[in-house]
Amino acid sequence: MKFTRRDFTAGLAVGITAPYVIGSARAQGATIKLGMCAPVTGPAAESGGYAVKGARIALEAVNKAGGILGKQAELIVEDDQTTNPGIVLAFSKLAAESDIVAFLGSIRSTQVHAMAPDVLKLGKPVMIGGTDPNLTHMGNQWLFRFRPNDSYSGRVIADYGFNTLGKKKWAVLHSTDAFGTAGGKALGAALEKLGSPAILDQGYANQSQDFTPVVLAIKQSGADILGSYFTYENDIGIFARQLRQLGVNIPWVGSPSITNITALKLAGPALYGTFGVADYAEESSEASKAFGKAYRDVVKVAPDNQSSWPYDAINVLAAAINKAGSTEPAKIREAILATRKFPGAEGEYNFDQNGDGLHGYNIVKNEKGTIVFDKHIEFTD
Amino acid sequence: MNNPQFLLPNAVMDLVLQLLFTGIGIGAVYALVALGFVLIFRATNVVNFAQGEFSMVAAYLMVVFAVDLGWPYWLSFLLSLAGMALLGAIFNLGVYYPLRHRSFLPVIIATIGASILLANSVLAIYGPQPQVLEGWFETPGIQLGPVYLDSQYLLIIAVTIVMVAFNYWFFEHTMLGKKLQATSQDKEMASLLGISVSTMIMITFIYSAVLGGLAGILVAPVLFVSIQMGSTIALKAFAATIIGGFGDVAGAIIGGLALGIIETFGAAYISVPYKDGFAFLVLVLFLVFRPQGIFGERVAEKA
Repeated sequence: MKFTRRDFTAGLAVGITAPYVIGSARAQGATIKLGMCAPVTGPAAESGGYAVKGARIALEAVNKAGGILGKQAELIVEDDQTTNPGIVLAFSKLAAESDIVAFLGSIRSTQVHAMAPDVLKLGKPVMIGGTDPNLTHMGNQWLFRFRPNDSYSGRVIADYGFNTLGKKKWAVLHSTDAFGTAGGKALGAALEKLGSPAILDQGYANQSQDFTPVVLAIKQSGADILGSYFTYENDIGIFARQLRQLGVNIPWVGSPSITNITALKLAGPALYGTFGVADYAEESSEASKAFGKAYRDVVKVAPDNQSSWPYDAINVLAAAINKAGSTEPAKIREAILATRKFPGAEGEYNFDQNGDGLHGYNIVKNEKGTIVFDKHIEFTD
Repeated sequence: MNNPQFLLPNAVMDLVLQLLFTGIGIGAVYALVALGFVLIFRATNVVNFAQGEFSMVAAYLMVVFAVDLGWPYWLSFLLSLAGMALLGAIFNLGVYYPLRHRSFLPVIIATIGASILLANSVLAIYGPQPQVLEGWFETPGIQLGPVYLDSQYLLIIAVTIVMVAFNYWFFEHTMLGKKLQATSQDKEMASLLGISVSTMIMITFIYSAVLGGLAGILVAPVLFVSIQMGSTIALKAFAATIIGGFGDVAGAIIGGLALGIIETFGAAYISVPYKDGFAFLVLVLFLVFRPQGIFGERVAEKA
């Protein structure tokens, strides 16, 4: 294709006028704007891409069904670089756009902690996927969680290993970031409650290149079951391989990252036979199946929790704004908290007054690389 | 925290051997990358902060040739190294050569810029997904008594030994090596003696890029292929060069191995979460008490 002088002039004209055209559209409030902070770059860029796709699939369906308050909804994504300073910057950019009515934050607890003070200052609802229980228990009324928090995952891991698998000598392995520390603590507390405190509590720093000392510690401890909270897939991959190489084959029940597709690809056979708690399990309900199909049609890979929570967040948020009949933050908040029996991809949403939407987990098993739904464990307290 | 000291002597010995093997393996990776740092530093007095990205780019080239195109492993290996030689040449012409008459600072900043460019180019072309690269051998490893020897780590250690021997022979016993040494010691004098300094620096960049690439290809089956793989290794390798004595080839090797062993044992016997801390604690101790490193001399004058 040739680039002529006329093309150039036309391009220039469009380029110069575009801001005004877009600006006037904004002034008319033609769309309802939702902001999203997601890792476009950095260690979680891959899963960040899935998250944005999940949100977009939901948004498209919402728009097809009439949009939000009769207007089409629009998603504005800012790169959080998978870092804490990154998400603070991304959120401040989005927050500066005063016509954005609500936001999607991060699946990483440590990032949600980083942005939380700004969320409180702004006073608009932010949907999150971070599972550190503290996030909804620290007096920040604008955070709404679309995944079950770690006090549940810890209880489910302990319950499954102790009652279903019948194992009593636990090694607990966790990342030392906010997510991993909170998860490790929750699992430890649940085990203590069952009268079987962990015999090894081992932390590790993210992006480790070698896990030999950790594997040897597990081996020496004489544990007969391993519970884990890993943050990054690379770390799971390296650990899983070294665990098998050094001959440790005890049952292993892991936090959701153990079932995500990047981890499955990297670790391969080293993760066969492991169990994981999964907030999203495709076979667990009709809504989960429906999301799975929609996602496969668009993205061509199996869906996972990285994409299911933003999908649910957009759906619940759209329904809540429609029910509230207003984009006023306090009214949206009330409507989200009043959400009951909402069938989402992750499960049935029944919001409590803390802002937690889900209260249970699925247990899944890795059968030669395929994730198979095993059972759902729900808590009412 | 688990304290293996309380175990029986035999079990302690097994543990120590296993940790030692891992420490040497990971240390050998640091040593290979550190070698690239040292060679460029000696030739140009500049620290090349894109050295880690050389490893990352080579690993991605391997993925393209061996995984995506399905070509034989040895052919992909040679092509990747050839690609690295080309990258080294382009890097010299684009990053170092235009700034060669300036002080070292603009060059260092240019290498940092180049490292960001390389990382983001790979991200743009290949996407953020970490990739899997199979190891050279079918067997993942050997069980030798109580110690498990990962075959890829064995290969890494072997290659490091070979590279150390090769470097010694090359720099001490070949004319080209001696010319390179002369250039690194005194550019003006070297050019008076009829040595083409710019050719020597070109060769240095090509060789360093290939060395960095070699490290990347070797470590990829262990750490997976990701955009970040280069920077994490390079940081440790950089520490290794300082510990060894900046500008010293033997120092880079010893520094790398020492770092690998120290952090592995530190993790096992003191604290796993502070594993990376040990490497940098050692670095700080060296900077305070022996800034010239183990083998170094007159670093203050160069810096």
